[in-house]
Order: sequence, then C-alpha cells, then structure tokens
Amino acid sequence: MRSMKETIAERTFLLSAIVSSSITLIIFGFMLFMALPLLSGGKILRILSSAWSPGNGSYGIFPMIVGTLAISFLSVAISFPVSIGCSGFIGILGPRQLNRYLKKIVQVMTGIPTVIYGFVGIFLLVPIVRELAGRGSGMSVITAALMLSVLISPTMILFFNDSFERVPRSYLEAADGLGANKVQKLVYVILPNAKKGIIMGLILAFGRALGDTLVALMIAGNATQVPGSIFDSARTLTAHIALVIAADYESIEFKSIFACGIVLYLFTTAIVLGVRYLASGRRKMR
Amino acid sequence: MKKIYGIVALAVFCFVLCSTSSSFAGPLDAFKGEKGTVKISGGTAHIPVMKEAARLIMTANPDIQITIAGGGSGVGVKQVGEGLVDIGNTGRKPTDDEIKRYDLKLFLWAIDGVALIVNPNNKVRSLGKAQARDIFSGKIDNWKALGGEDRKINIYTRDEASGTREVFWEKAIAKGTIAKSANVVVSNGAMKSAVSQDPYGIGYVSVGHIDKTVAPVTFDGVTPEIETVKSGKYTIARGLYSNTKGNPAPLTKKFLDFLFTDEGQKIIAANGFIPVK
Amino acid sequence: MKRPVEQAITGFAWLSMAMLLFAVFSVIGYLFLKGYPSLDTRLIFGDTAVLDALLLRKQVFNGLFPAAAGTLVLVVMSVVWAIPVGIATGIYLAEYASARVKGVLNLFFDILAGIPSIVIGLFGFALAVFLHKNFSRAIQPCLLISSIALAFLVLPYLIRTTQMALEGLPEDTRLGALALGATKLQNIFYVLLPRSLSGIMSGVILAIGRCAEDTAVIMLTGVVATAGIPKSLFSGYEALPFYIYYISSQYTSPEELLTGYGASIILLAICIVLFSAAFLIKKRLTYIAFYRS
Repeated sequence: MRSMKETIAERTFLLSAIVSSSITLIIFGFMLFMALPLLSGGKILRILSSAWSPGNGSYGIFPMIVGTLAISFLSVAISFPVSIGCSGFIGILGPRQLNRYLKKIVQVMTGIPTVIYGFVGIFLLVPIVRELAGRGSGMSVITAALMLSVLISPTMILFFNDSFERVPRSYLEAADGLGANKVQKLVYVILPNAKKGIIMGLILAFGRALGDTLVALMIAGNATQVPGSIFDSARTLTAHIALVIAADYESIEFKSIFACGIVLYLFTTAIVLGVRYLASGRRKMR
Repeated sequence: MKKIYGIVALAVFCFVLCSTSSSFAGPLDAFKGEKGTVKISGGTAHIPVMKEAARLIMTANPDIQITIAGGGSGVGVKQVGEGLVDIGNTGRKPTDDEIKRYDLKLFLWAIDGVALIVNPNNKVRSLGKAQARDIFSGKIDNWKALGGEDRKINIYTRDEASGTREVFWEKAIAKGTIAKSANVVVSNGAMKSAVSQDPYGIGYVSVGHIDKTVAPVTFDGVTPEIETVKSGKYTIARGLYSNTKGNPAPLTKKFLDFLFTDEGQKIIAANGFIPVK
Repeated sequence: MKRPVEQAITGFAWLSMAMLLFAVFSVIGYLFLKGYPSLDTRLIFGDTAVLDALLLRKQVFNGLFPAAAGTLVLVVMSVVWAIPVGIATGIYLAEYASARVKGVLNLFFDILAGIPSIVIGLFGFALAVFLHKNFSRAIQPCLLISSIALAFLVLPYLIRTTQMALEGLPEDTRLGALALGATKLQNIFYVLLPRSLSGIMSGVILAIGRCAEDTAVIMLTGVVATAGIPKSLFSGYEALPFYIYYISSQYTSPEELLTGYGASIILLAICIVLFSAAFLIKKRLTYIAFYRS
C-alpha cells in the first residue's frame, strides 16, 4: 500500500511536469491567437511573401525571413570549417597538454553574453568592415554573420568533440595497429564515424544563430530590404520583433510580429525534430 | 492688546519663515512627503530632459521612483493610452484621432527642430529640399553628386513609431519615400552616435541633440539651430509634448508642473530646446 | 594519403584554432583595453557615497548600481520561480515517467529550450498586455513579468540537469535504500537527490548566468533606461545587459560610453565566473550548453 505522502509527492511532480511542458504549447497557442486575424483568407501568404511598408499598408515579413536565413547560413558557413579544424585540433592533432586548456577556453566562451558581442561589434568590427568593403555603413549581413560565427563556434566545437569522443576506442586502436598517424585517424576513422554528430552540431549552431537577437539588432543595420549582397544592411525576424513591438496593439503591424514569432517557433521545432531524428538514428546504429 | 497681536504676528511670521526657509532650495519642495512611481515612455528626444528632471526629483526625495523608457512617439501615445505608463511623450502633436480615442491631455513644454546631420568629416554641409528628397529616396546615392567624396551615401532613418521621423518626412522631404536600404536606428541618441561613427552617413535628429560629434546640414539655406527655429526661419520645427490619459494623477501632475518651473525650463534650455515660457 | 595533404590538414587545424583564439581574445582584449580606465567605485556608485548607496539612503545616478541591483533582483526572482518547478519536473522525468511519456515531454522541453529568447519576450509582453486589459490595470510590463518570462527561458536547463543527474546514478545506489525498506519518495530525497546535487547545482548556476546575460526577453517585458533601485515588482527596472545595449547606441559623451565598456567587463566577468563554475562542478555538461539560443 502506498502512503498518502507518496501519492501527493508523485502528483506534485506530475503537476510540475504538466505545467512546464504546457508552457511550450501555451507560447505557441498565444502566438497563434494573437496572429489569428492574419491567418484567415490567404492573408498569411501575403505577409510571408511581401515587403514591409506600413505607410502603404503592407506588413510583409519576407525581407526579414531572407535576412534571417542569409545571416544564419553565412555565420554557419564561416564557423563550420573553423570549428571542424578546432575540434580536430583539440580532439587529436594538437599537443595534449595544451588541449585541456583550449577546451576550457571554448567552454567558457559559451558563457560570453551576446550583448557583448554586439557591443564590441559596433565599435570594433563595423568600422573595419566599412573600410574593407569600401561601401555601405559597415552594418551589414557579413558584419552580423562574422560576429555570430564567433558566438556559435563554441557550440559546434564542443558538440563535435563530444561526438569524436563517442567513436569507439577499439576503432582507433585498430587504426593504431595498422600504423595510422593522427591525421589518418582523424580523416579515416573519427570523421566518418562522427558524421551524424557533426550534422547535429551544425543544425544546433544554426538554430542558435537563427534565434539570436542582439547581434543582428546592433550591427546588421536593420534595413527593411531584401539584402542583395553581403555588404547590404538587413533585418532579422528577431530584430524585427524588437523594433516593431512598440506599435499599436490593435494594428496589423503589431499582429504581424506574432507571425514572425510563429515562423521562428516553427524553425526551432523543425531544428529540434531534425536533431532528434538524427539522434535516434545514431542510437539504433549501435 | 495690540502688543499681543503684534507678538503673535511676529511669532507667526517667524514660524512661517523658519518652516519655509528651505523653500529657497526651489521648486523641488513640491515633492516633499510624496511617495510613488511615475512611469514615462515614448519620445526619445525628451529623454535627456526627463532624466535630468528625474535625477533632481529623486535626489530630493528618494521615496519617489521615476522610470524612463524610450520607444518613440508612437509608443508613448499607445502606452499612455492603454494605461501602461503615466506619461507618454511625443515629438509631434498627437493626432486628433489619438487625442479623442485615448482622452489625452497635452502638455507642450518645449519647441524643437529636426535637422539633417552628417559626419563632421563630410564636406557636404548644405542641401536643398529637392536634394534631401532625392537622397532619402535613393535617387542620389553618391556623395560625389553633391560635391563630396566618391562614396555611397549611407542613409539612416528611424522606425515607424518615431515622431522625429514623421516630422522629418512631412516637413523636410514632403512625404517622399525613404529607401528600403536605409539603416534603421531606434532613437535620437542612436541616430547621433550612428552618424558620428559613419563618415559617409546622413540622418536626421532633434536639433537639441546636435553636438560637436555630428555636423548639422544647412537646409534650404537655413542653418538648423536654436535661434533659427525660434525665429521661425527654420521650418522643420515641432513641439515636444508630454501627454497623460485624462487629468494626471497628483504626483504625475507635480512632475509635469516641475517642467514648467524656472528650474525645469532651465533644464530644457540646457538640453538645447526652446522652453515654452 | 599524401604527405602534403596531411600537413595541410594539420596546418588547417592549427590555423582554425589560432583564428578562434584571435577572435575571442580580440573581443575580450578590446573591452579591457578600452574599459579598464573606468574600473573604479565611481563606475558603480557615481557621485554617491558608497555606504549611502548600499544602504539605499540615496539614489545613484551616473553609476551602474541601479542596473546591477536590478539584475540581481531579476535573477533571484526568476530562479526562485524556476527552481522548484524545474527540479520537480526533472524528478518526474527521471523517476516516474514511462518511456513513452518521457519521449513526449523531452520533445516539449527540447523545443522550449530552442525557442529564441525574443519570442519568449514577445510572449511575456503579450501576456502582460492581455492581463492588463482583462484582469488588472496594475499589471504591465514590469519586474514580475520579466522574471516569469526568464523563468520560462531557463526552465529547460534545470529540468535537463536534474533529469540527467538522477539518471546518471549507478544502479546499486538506486537500489540500496529500497532494499532496506525505504519508500520511493524517501529514496529520492535521502539518497538520489543528495547524490546528484552537483549536477543540479551546475544547472542552477547555468540558469543564473543565463538570466543575468539575457537582453532580448527583458527588453520586451519591462526593462527601462532609467528607474533607480527597483522598489516594486510592478514597475520598470534597470539591468546590466540592457544598459550595455542602451549605451552602445545612445551614449551622449565619451564618459558615458566608457561606463558601457565598464558594464560590459563586469557582465562578462560575472558570466564567465558562473559558466566556469558550472563546468567545474560538472564536467560533462556540454549537452545543455548547446541548446542555448
């Protein structure tokens, strides 16, 4: 027989679990509810595909979707090779005594606040990009992408390293037996076996770049155009929310930022599902 | 008997004198014994004045809390209208529609102008109305066409909630389009620092915010400065308003009254605006 | 593999590492180079005497004290909301949930962890406006709303670390007390939780760090440019990360900008200490760090 106390405790734990998991749903529900007037009759398609020009009654977020994707893809493209190089270094190629410290540094990097990347970006990176590009204000897609790539690379490196370490020791010992050197072990044994982990790290880092607000808000320029080049000023969905939040609560303008919220939410969900799919595949493989 | 009256009168006089002696400290005494919060948001041109007033009041009476946020004039109107703040500042006159819808009470405490600014290193210091229109629409996109360096013009503009943007758009570029490639900043302060850091930038800012880090641009032959705004020669002028929903609550009223005292008007003038008194 | 190719790969790894270190140290170095002249008590307390400020006898202007106090109150409140719910949920997941329920809940928490913080801020803002209109005029974006929104943001960290710490316990620890006749609840509170305390603590520390650094949530839910020391849960407040954001674009003088560098150094130091501590307490914690967004 279970005592009263046991039952109450279990119920409390269950209740907490229900409350916390329902937050996930409530947030989505709230976004849907607030954006509801936009979702009927094809209006949502117009919002997703047209330009932002409240003066002319056009509340589209297409330029921001493009801006978000451009900045996140570019930042991942910049930091992916560097992160692979770094994890190769920390994992096997670099001197062992050094690597302990390097890994610590990378771990600590995950704690650097994003507002600080933005702050340093404004005063250090923006002028450099302006002069190197020879045009534009220096606040641009590439500026934000560069800063974001510093922000997301620790995520990638730690995840890559984690998956390197999951490669069974016996594989490496077999390679040792065949007389493989460090580079050969990395290229022929570790990388192929850590492929799924690498893809997962890549997707997660992409999610981080996608969801960041401050870096883009502070150094991407926030222009409402579809960026035509990496030196153009652009606005992300996240920055758009921060900039438009102030509008009249009854207006379409205000409702449209909930459409941004929904888009970001769906991106996130897709990323999580992707990672979980890969992770389950990895578990089955073993 | 008369003598006694005289003594009483003297005593009363002394008492009054003593109890009010600290009133020579100025109009801040109105806040004595008050407690509570005043929430302010909206117009960003107002912020330096609001901050200074808040500093004086909160120093004189630590029981009062005054919170100040920006957001722009649009935010000011909406938030005060929805009852989210006590005072909503606007850098333009609220529209009749807004006044009616939210039952706004307007307090106009300063006159300000909106001026085009460029980086101090920029040689272009004078523009006509048509040129300004063409720059902001993107038709003129190189400083060379205006006698400057052969570099692209970087336009800076404000978000849609900005009263400064609205005044500029109406009075300076005659409701012309603003290019979508323009960088968007969120306040007068941010506009000033953005242009001060970008040698090829152009933007517009409250005349009160102009300092030596940016260069004002002569517009249609008139230099934007206090005197020309005052005399009416510089036409891109606007009022700085603080608005409340209905009649202000007592503490809010005292805060607004303070802006109209000599002390308050001194702060306003010191921040580069033209006090209304 | 040919020798030059191998050398090129090794070279590339060295180069990557150098680039990363260069990037990090330029960010940190630049801050310190520009900001170290500002590091003294005036940065925090402005013109007010230190004791007067600490005893809340006088307001501090042109100093970081109100922002630091705001961040402190905010962090404490958020963590107070999040810890009980987070740990209880973690216990449920690890000790009670069936495999299927666990799978579903895990998916929810993964999504929650991945939601961009600005979206959580937007939710908090909309919630405040909704409550203001339908429930009480006294509710508006404020310290209370911000702390609740931040609690949502850090909840997944606490759930995950608790769950992982409990699940990581060896089977014999798990069964020992039960064999001696302890109930499931007693086992959890007297055996399992104490054993997994370090894991849970690291989660708490990470959550604190996350609350301290987040800007996107609070900028939509109640942080303001000037407020003084926080006096009420229902009014606006100042916070360090927002101060940095605000100063970065709205500084009125070089001196004011300098306080922005100072604030950045302080916030950076706080976050680095917290994150190092979390990693120190629990070595294999990297998994959670990935989900930050």
